Amino acid sequence: MKDEAIYRRLFRTALLIRLVEERIIELYPSDKIQSPVHLSIGQEAVAVGVCDGLKPDDLVFATYRSHGFYIAKGGSLDAMFAELYGRKGGVSGGKAGSMHLAAPEVGLMGSSAVVASTIPHAVGAALSFKRRGLSQIAVAVFGDGATEEGVYHESLNFAALMKVPVLFLCEDNGLAVHSHRPVRQSYRLAEHAASFGIASRRLEEGWDMLAIRQATLEAAAKVRAGEPFVLEIVTSRYKEHVGVGEDFHFNYRTSDGVDAWKRRDPLIVDQKLVATLRPDIEREIEAAVAFAEASPAPGRDELLADVI
Amino acid sequence: MSIAAVKPDQGTRVLSYAGALLETMDAALADHANTFIMGQGVDDFKGIFGSTTGLAEKYGAARVFDVPLMEEGMTGVAIGASLVGDYPITTHIRADFSFLAMNQIINLAAKYRYMFGGLMRCPMLIRIVVGRSWGQGAQHSQSPQSTFAHYPGLTVVMPSSSQAILDMYPAIINRHPGPVISIEHRLLYNLDFTVSPSEHRVPLTSYVARKGSDVTVVATSVMVLEALRAAQYVEDKAGISAEIIDLNSISHPDWDLVAASVRKTGRLVVADTSWLEYGVAAEVCRQLVMRDPGLLRQPPTMLGMAPAPCPTAKSLEDIYYPSQHETVDAILVQVRGDNHGIALPVERSMTEGYKRFRGPF
Repeated sequence: MKDEAIYRRLFRTALLIRLVEERIIELYPSDKIQSPVHLSIGQEAVAVGVCDGLKPDDLVFATYRSHGFYIAKGGSLDAMFAELYGRKGGVSGGKAGSMHLAAPEVGLMGSSAVVASTIPHAVGAALSFKRRGLSQIAVAVFGDGATEEGVYHESLNFAALMKVPVLFLCEDNGLAVHSHRPVRQSYRLAEHAASFGIASRRLEEGWDMLAIRQATLEAAAKVRAGEPFVLEIVTSRYKEHVGVGEDFHFNYRTSDGVDAWKRRDPLIVDQKLVATLRPDIEREIEAAVAFAEASPAPGRDELLADVI
Repeated sequence: MSIAAVKPDQGTRVLSYAGALLETMDAALADHANTFIMGQGVDDFKGIFGSTTGLAEKYGAARVFDVPLMEEGMTGVAIGASLVGDYPITTHIRADFSFLAMNQIINLAAKYRYMFGGLMRCPMLIRIVVGRSWGQGAQHSQSPQSTFAHYPGLTVVMPSSSQAILDMYPAIINRHPGPVISIEHRLLYNLDFTVSPSEHRVPLTSYVARKGSDVTVVATSVMVLEALRAAQYVEDKAGISAEIIDLNSISHPDWDLVAASVRKTGRLVVADTSWLEYGVAAEVCRQLVMRDPGLLRQPPTMLGMAPAPCPTAKSLEDIYYPSQHETVDAILVQVRGDNHGIALPVERSMTEGYKRFRGPF
């Protein structure tokens, strides 16, 4: 397939993610979505490029900021909106909300709201793949802040010792809530990974979906051959940490970095393609919103189901 | 099922607690290709006090393997493997070390089925061992049953005998739908028990370990043995009939069984291996009072660890834990009152008793 066709496929998924989140922003003041939302606007290219570079049965373990990965991996849009609405038709019947999206049928194995906590899950799944002689790989998705947690260190060490097929995918937006890297990290991620004998790559062009896809293909090939790999992709969080607004007026960061990113953001730059794809995507989103609106709320019968 | 009632002429044999663990671990690996065991030292010459010895050689390093010192990471690895269909068994040679895995156990494993509306399941067995005696001290002695049982989504059991292990573990491994924490007790490991291939399995809930009519003793883990010994003593010395209930499952006890016993006896002793505050003893009282505040004829007696971290000095450790002396006294006080006038056993240090004690029950 030509790059142009691949680009168009990636672009459409990225635009779908952005328009879904912009619809969430519109809906949010209505209080129909009563769930904290961590928007991935600005970071869509990572989810799209990575998921396109994986095989369909490769598994992704994600975070509370995973609308993008859910959609890019192929999760149902109807079930996602119903989940955000807290309805029975939601992917988890309304018990998960925005922070715990999952779609195991397409390989999204759950999203956790505790930073770094799903990283060892990917290692465990990879351990299982190796023991069973399968060719699948597992992907741990996490932010740069997660690398400060002890379990990140534990996971790299164990993955390196056991030589399991796991891809550690760091979405580096430079922020942990409102804290910048200089107050958080005394190490360089690549050097840290290298100390375990784990190869890594840092991709600065996190707006470039084709470059991310290519980097993922190359990393996944190494991982599939039995070597864990750290892929770090620089990206930009346009919105506040949690919620649907912007946060530049709080003065913990300036808009300069985001503005520079936006000048390269294909979803902003390539308005011609946006205009071509937008009507069809909007119909898809409206159908999902209508599905959510029509779905009943869960009741007492569901309260104590699936505890054990 | 009454352990004490097992007759030695019904296809029974003598098996230590560690031996029962080893048999069930061996059987789990033999019966279920998706099962593996990992933990610090599971493949070494000590083999978790003899409960995994030789299994790495028998089943290979892919099924039984040592791990780095990474309690949280190991538990997360277990969850990940479980999510894709494996059945992991993890070990902590001291229960205290499982506190390093609390994030994965409480925030992840306990939540995964419910939080994802049934989409995810992570069945696994986490074996943790409570230490006691010989100066285990503050960080090698904690017994966290009420801590874990507080969180919905976890199943917590405390096997008090070889029979309980032989009956429960095969019902848990690869069969129970969620994560199970089994709190084993180090003092029990070297004890021999009589076991039987009984039709009446120890259930994954509470059971009557000894029938009686004068007083109900609800006990956990090694305190079940202490209660059984005390019950024999008070029967021999004073003709008192104590009913012993092994709570056995801390997360899912049979409260109807406990309430029925107390309704019959009107008297209650709770003997737990941990602190009383916000613990098993408190929950037993809550359950009884909520059913019928008139069930007890008099205030109950509670036995547990003193409300302090565990001291190391033997003189302090001996008074930190309830002794056989105190367990017997508690039963006598319940039935005959404070001035029961019956001589107590001379033994004050329970662990000395366990050095001599070889069962079987």
